[in-house]
Amino acid sequence: MSTTTERTGRNAGVARQRPRRRAGVTGPGVRAGQVGLTVLVLIAWELLCRVGVIDDFFFPRPSEILKTVWEWVGSGFVFPHLLITLEEAALAFITGAAAGLLLGFLLARVHFLEQLFEPFLKMFNALPRVVLAPIFLLWFGLGIWSKVAFGFTLVFFIVFFNTLEGVKSVDRVLIDNARMLGASERQLLRHVFIPSALTWIFSSLHISVGFAITGAVVGEYLGASAGMGYAIAQAQGVFDTTGVFAGMFILMFVVLIIDLLVNRVERHLLRWRPTNNG
Amino acid sequence: MRQPDQTEAPDYAVELNACSKEFTTPHGGTYQAVQDIDLKVEPGRFVSIVGPTGSGKSTILHMAAGLLEPSAGTAASFGVPVRGVNRRASYMFQQDALLPWKTVIDNVSLGLTMAGVPKPEANDRARRWLEKVGLKNFTDRYPHQLSGGMRKRTSLAQAWIVDPDILLMDEPFSALDVQTRQIMENELLALWQESGKAVVFITHDLDEAIALSDEVIILGAGPGSTVVGRYDITIPRPRDLLEIRDDPQFVELHREIWGRLKIEVSRTYQSTVRQEGGAA
Repeated sequence: MSTTTERTGRNAGVARQRPRRRAGVTGPGVRAGQVGLTVLVLIAWELLCRVGVIDDFFFPRPSEILKTVWEWVGSGFVFPHLLITLEEAALAFITGAAAGLLLGFLLARVHFLEQLFEPFLKMFNALPRVVLAPIFLLWFGLGIWSKVAFGFTLVFFIVFFNTLEGVKSVDRVLIDNARMLGASERQLLRHVFIPSALTWIFSSLHISVGFAITGAVVGEYLGASAGMGYAIAQAQGVFDTTGVFAGMFILMFVVLIIDLLVNRVERHLLRWRPTNNG
Repeated sequence: MRQPDQTEAPDYAVELNACSKEFTTPHGGTYQAVQDIDLKVEPGRFVSIVGPTGSGKSTILHMAAGLLEPSAGTAASFGVPVRGVNRRASYMFQQDALLPWKTVIDNVSLGLTMAGVPKPEANDRARRWLEKVGLKNFTDRYPHQLSGGMRKRTSLAQAWIVDPDILLMDEPFSALDVQTRQIMENELLALWQESGKAVVFITHDLDEAIALSDEVIILGAGPGSTVVGRYDITIPRPRDLLEIRDDPQFVELHREIWGRLKIEVSRTYQSTVRQEGGAA
């Protein structure tokens, strides 16, 4: 191979990057094992329910759950709810991430502002965000905006702190080099800070996508007229545990698919990074 | 020492007058890195700075580049005081300073594109430079896919493409193996020869300094190190770097300069040993 991988140890630019899991590196043996394990657990669950070891009022049989999922999907019942939840999550994610990125970059570049805002940001971050849900409900009503506001507070802090850290941890030499080559503050941002902070921002995106959906669902659960959280709360209200589990499984799959998409984008934008085995 | 005389002094490419630099330590104290540094480099001259570890060599270069402001003294370039980054200088860092998210060609053309040169033209010129440093087949690689020597060549092209009047080089080849290093030194001299550019070259390797330079400056042991010796290197050019170490003039100069440098190196060594002994 013509690409030698001589490492100087001073190679700060890439050595600094944290190792991360990569999708698609699992071998066929591992895949088979994973499928086998899933099937095994589901069969054991089903059997233990049938012989009465597990109470299927609290832990409904997998077959029942799948049937309910099928019904909800087949009848189209779930889609309006899912759409509302995803809409809330998307709005919370977009506004939260945008505000987090903007403020993160600003505070990382203007030291005075960072010092000024630090205690307040710490305070708000220390607040358990769930307690905000009731007050948002009063402020913004039962519609989607109380959920968006709640999701926003969850997403914002993760993206903000990661961006701040990402920009501040940029290698000094890279900044100096770009400045010597004539970079203006704007060019520094574009060529050095943003790409360098991307690894941090992406690790926060994975978490914050999940949090945006969590925010939406929890908000709906506390008070709404539509959405997955509402559907689950309705099922719980009539002691329909199968419905609760069905809602859980549907959400789980949707979040998995979204995470896969984030992975795709990440792999494209971070293609310059050395892979662990390359 | 010659007094700086504004009326008849030529415009030096790099001019540090009695420059000192203090740093604040994390514990609130101050650390004097360098003291009373006078450095004058005429356009087209190749000057090396040699000194023991911790003698503030990089600090001097940073002051010349405008990346650090001297605590006392003045820095000027071509008669103009250095404020902010010195735009007539390029800097080649000891560490890898290529942007890891840009391909080789984008790294090399960066200085041009940031100055507003249209992308196609910048790429053409970058390609010519990459050919010059022997990397024309690697234009679309990312830095981590290159060897250490190839990364240094990319850095060299990146620094030279903007056609600076001054090249500040901070131990650029210290991370390379001996063979690659000699090749790089040869390439550097070939590029510099008759380019009219002033070079300030930092190294801890006296052989390298003598072989490349018109003048070798010796720094004393830190902290608060200052210039303890200046030597003109009169070995005629062009020089054959592979043979130069057997040249009688080289041997004589090396013996003389090493006699001075040795004292500083052993002072640094002893103070390190003392500190470690004290800490244990």
